[in-house]
Amino acid sequence: MATEGLTIFGKTVFDTLFIDWRIMVITAIISIILFIVGMYIQLEKWGRGIPEGATKSYGAWGALKMIIGKIFEKGIGHALEILILDVAFQRRTYRRRKLEWFMHILIFWGWIGLLILTIVAAAAEFAGPFLLNEDYTYFVGVWKSLELPNNIFGYMLVLGIIIAIARRLFSTGKDVQARNADIDWILIIGLLIVVITGFYAQILRGDVTRELIEAYPPTFFNNITVMFHEVFTLLFCVAYLPFSKYFHMITAPLTILVNHGGE
Amino acid sequence: MAKEKPSLNTVNFTAAQLMEFDACTRCGECVKYCPTYDARDKNQDIEPRDKILRWRDFMTKSYGLKARLFGPEKITPEEIKKFTDDLYNCTTCGMCGTVCPAGINTIELWESTRANLVKYGTGPYGKQSLFPKLIEEGHNPYLKQQKDRLAWMTPDIKIAEKSDIAYFIGCTAGYNQQVLGVSTARILNKLNVPFMALGEEEWCCGSALIRTGQQHINDTPRKAAIHNVEALKARGAKRVIFACAGCFRAAKIDWPRAYGKELPFEAIHMSQFLAEQLEAGKIKWEKSLDKTVTYHDPCHLGRHVGVFEEPRKVIKSMPGIKLVEMKRNRKEQRCCGAGGGVKAGIPDLALGVAKGRVNDAKETGAQALISTCPFCRRNLLDGRDELKLDMSVDDLVVLTANLMGLSTDVKPPAPGAPKESISDLFRTQTIPPKPPAEPKKEEPKPAPKAEAPKAPQKEAPKTK
Repeated sequence: MATEGLTIFGKTVFDTLFIDWRIMVITAIISIILFIVGMYIQLEKWGRGIPEGATKSYGAWGALKMIIGKIFEKGIGHALEILILDVAFQRRTYRRRKLEWFMHILIFWGWIGLLILTIVAAAAEFAGPFLLNEDYTYFVGVWKSLELPNNIFGYMLVLGIIIAIARRLFSTGKDVQARNADIDWILIIGLLIVVITGFYAQILRGDVTRELIEAYPPTFFNNITVMFHEVFTLLFCVAYLPFSKYFHMITAPLTILVNHGGE
Repeated sequence: MAKEKPSLNTVNFTAAQLMEFDACTRCGECVKYCPTYDARDKNQDIEPRDKILRWRDFMTKSYGLKARLFGPEKITPEEIKKFTDDLYNCTTCGMCGTVCPAGINTIELWESTRANLVKYGTGPYGKQSLFPKLIEEGHNPYLKQQKDRLAWMTPDIKIAEKSDIAYFIGCTAGYNQQVLGVSTARILNKLNVPFMALGEEEWCCGSALIRTGQQHINDTPRKAAIHNVEALKARGAKRVIFACAGCFRAAKIDWPRAYGKELPFEAIHMSQFLAEQLEAGKIKWEKSLDKTVTYHDPCHLGRHVGVFEEPRKVIKSMPGIKLVEMKRNRKEQRCCGAGGGVKAGIPDLALGVAKGRVNDAKETGAQALISTCPFCRRNLLDGRDELKLDMSVDDLVVLTANLMGLSTDVKPPAPGAPKESISDLFRTQTIPPKPPAEPKKEEPKPAPKAEAPKAPQKEAPKTK
């Protein structure tokens, strides 16, 4: 079945995923459920804390409340300052590890950039038919205009991951490798798979026009690599996150916020 | 079948602290700066990262997803004991937290983990276990008498009965480093700053117990903090001067927690007070000293509380003195090695770290190493002696007193008094050697019987 579009309330929404949307919906729901379950397990673990003088533990929601309370202890302005300088621009890493900072910024902003562009594309998909009363050409135009920034953020991510791999291969000092560092490799290889298959998907989508879509055979839109990319990305980057080593992507920024920048 | 209980519990941790264990990115930045890791020939067991990851692993084995589904995984008592020993191989200097990209508050984390393990039964370490009894019963960790709190006073020193300025002397200056006590008091007298001291009413600040995770034992540090605060308040103190960085840190951070609200007075370190007096033009230097000195930031004054510039300001104003910085200074300073109960519990580690710091000072070519903490001074003196270096180690207050034209002499030291009783820079006094122990009179031998195990000899531990 060619996925020229998805019919919602009588309007055709262009399907940028190029795969059967039902698979995506199911995968997304499973991933989000697993993510929420994982986060709850972690919160529940943190909520077992019983500080000196207390008689009972916080519980999962108590832990969440405590963490949020600590973040805003010094006011919203202060929390925002820490969020921008220490989370978004990683000031603490910049002070001491310039190469690592560069690598992190490439990976972090590469991801954030791609995420934002994905949201913009998704918004255009729906805004065209529902808000602007435009046909598919509106979305195609938006999509094509996003090609350059999509490529830039994609290359940033790739460069960041290449630096990460190179550091692990060529910098064998103890300051890089902790004991039992194998899980780190799972993370790096996983990210690499996401990026390589993502570029392949992007190439397939890149030159899409209405004419091309019509010209392609129906099976094209269920391209196995593209589907693998989308499903793997959701499972690896969302569902697996709370159970993986790269859970620090959530906990490290939270810790910086809770400790007010660590100063 | 009932699930097994987890091997470890989560007492003494806040929810945020348990989250902090999960925040370590394993980057290893802390490893590069850890003073005990360096002193222990880069033993990976005691690097901060490894300890965080091991405790994280313990928590996951006990409370993670697998533990919830299939029951907690057993952690052997040997593993916990080994972890405890590694955890106490730490001066709680906080360097790891300072450089941590994730901003983990490691000082509090180590203290909470220590408290957890003391409750579990594997902590503290060595002689540190004597602190609770000594401090609770004697109000000091040195087995000294309360009545001797002001025994260092010389006839020229005037201490007021009541004043809005107080000098909190601390156990180390009061009993072992009289030179710091007399120098502080003489400076205040010379500056016409009337001050009072609690004397027999002064209790240990409690730092040694908190740093070693023993704060919960009979609630001693909390009781001591409340006692000191109330005693100072009752005597009308509005400002309290501390010349000991350890006591100052306790007053700034630990006492308000114990007291449950803001302190009714301002706590100020002597170096800050001197900088203030200098600014006001009240300090007149009467002597000059042609020496190159370097300044060691005590962890408890610098990284823990944030006082870095005032001591430097005072040193830079001294005639003849040239201040040179060690490579690692201010926030990135290397610990002296005495803190976190290490001096009492693991003296060889304390000495190893001290040697590292003294070598840092040696690299600068300085003739004197100046600090603002009696405990740092003591440990750095040990490091200097071990390295047999021709470098003086003294306190900023002692140096200030001398250059203000004041005597730094203490009461004639008793035979065998600790070397740190007198000034190292201005040696006008010597410590008489300890007389040889009298040979024991031979008593008639009793009839042979089964030998009972020897009780360990009691010796006052070194604190901090």
